[in-house]
Amino acid sequence: MSAEEKIDIDLFKLVFRAMAQSDNLEIMANHLTQLLVAALEIKGCTIFALDPDLDELEVLASFGMSTDYLQKGPLLSEKSIADMFRGKPIVIPDANHTDRLQYPQNAKNEGIGAIVSVPIKFSGKVIGALRLYHSKVWDISDRDVDSLLVLAENIGLAMTYTRVLKALKTIRYTVNDIHSIWLLEQE
Amino acid sequence: MAIQRILLAYNFSSLDQKAIEFVTSAFGHLEGVELTVFHAFTPLPAIETDASLVTGKLKGSLNFLSQQIMQRENDLKAVTENLARYGFAAERIHTVFIPRKKDIATEIINLARDTKFDAIVLNRKAARVTRFFSGSVSHKVIMTLKDTTVCTVC
Repeated sequence: MSAEEKIDIDLFKLVFRAMAQSDNLEIMANHLTQLLVAALEIKGCTIFALDPDLDELEVLASFGMSTDYLQKGPLLSEKSIADMFRGKPIVIPDANHTDRLQYPQNAKNEGIGAIVSVPIKFSGKVIGALRLYHSKVWDISDRDVDSLLVLAENIGLAMTYTRVLKALKTIRYTVNDIHSIWLLEQE
Repeated sequence: MAIQRILLAYNFSSLDQKAIEFVTSAFGHLEGVELTVFHAFTPLPAIETDASLVTGKLKGSLNFLSQQIMQRENDLKAVTENLARYGFAAERIHTVFIPRKKDIATEIINLARDTKFDAIVLNRKAARVTRFFSGSVSHKVIMTLKDTTVCTVC
């Protein structure tokens, strides 16, 4: 596949509208993975959240990938993971000819031909990853990688926004539970 | 009160098998127990497929995605066969496969209230960070429902 540009303003509009339609992070993230798989005609897409204590990625949403594959753990090598923590995109155009995969056989069994992984950042810190899987060799253009970085930054904002919203709701429910008698208010 | 209606929340994870083993060993031998295996899927996003070129191209891809979601429904039906292998009578197993409109916990709570289940079996993955962002399903279910036994497999 040549390095044709697949991500344009129409796709951005589609994706951001889908993001704006939901205040639920899981639904939003699932819609994003579905739309990216459909629009880019790729095999699958996964959004991970990063556990900063363990330096491990947890699956937040995924589409097109088997449960077995997702539970295999990180499939990128130390070298690739180090790049990810530095906030750099990882592009593996041919998964069958690379030393950057930790479990190449699993990738082969899953039918993965190429992987593109971009960091999800918030305020300059990596909080997750957006990973796209193609069934064939994928010579993704630099511009599309840049577009994915922009998309991932917005996912980072959405993750943070929905978490803050959840915290606010919890505060509201807690405040609603407070009886006036506990505040020594006059009836 | 004897447990007669059980809801098993199935999420296509590695803990599902453990939950199935728990359900069959704890309830499979009981007379008249009805088991409902439940999965709420994320429906495809509503988009105007004639609005632009990219969305027009998407039409075919979205049909393919719909088929993949339907495949999930078949996978859920196959779970009943797995349960039957563990000794649960096939006629006592039902499946519910619905599009999710809210968070999973709310979908489980709504179904439990509508159908009046005596027991709910959940599985809880050890995903600390996704729980931080998305919330804990088991915590919300336990804190909301009354007069229901909630078992969590972890």
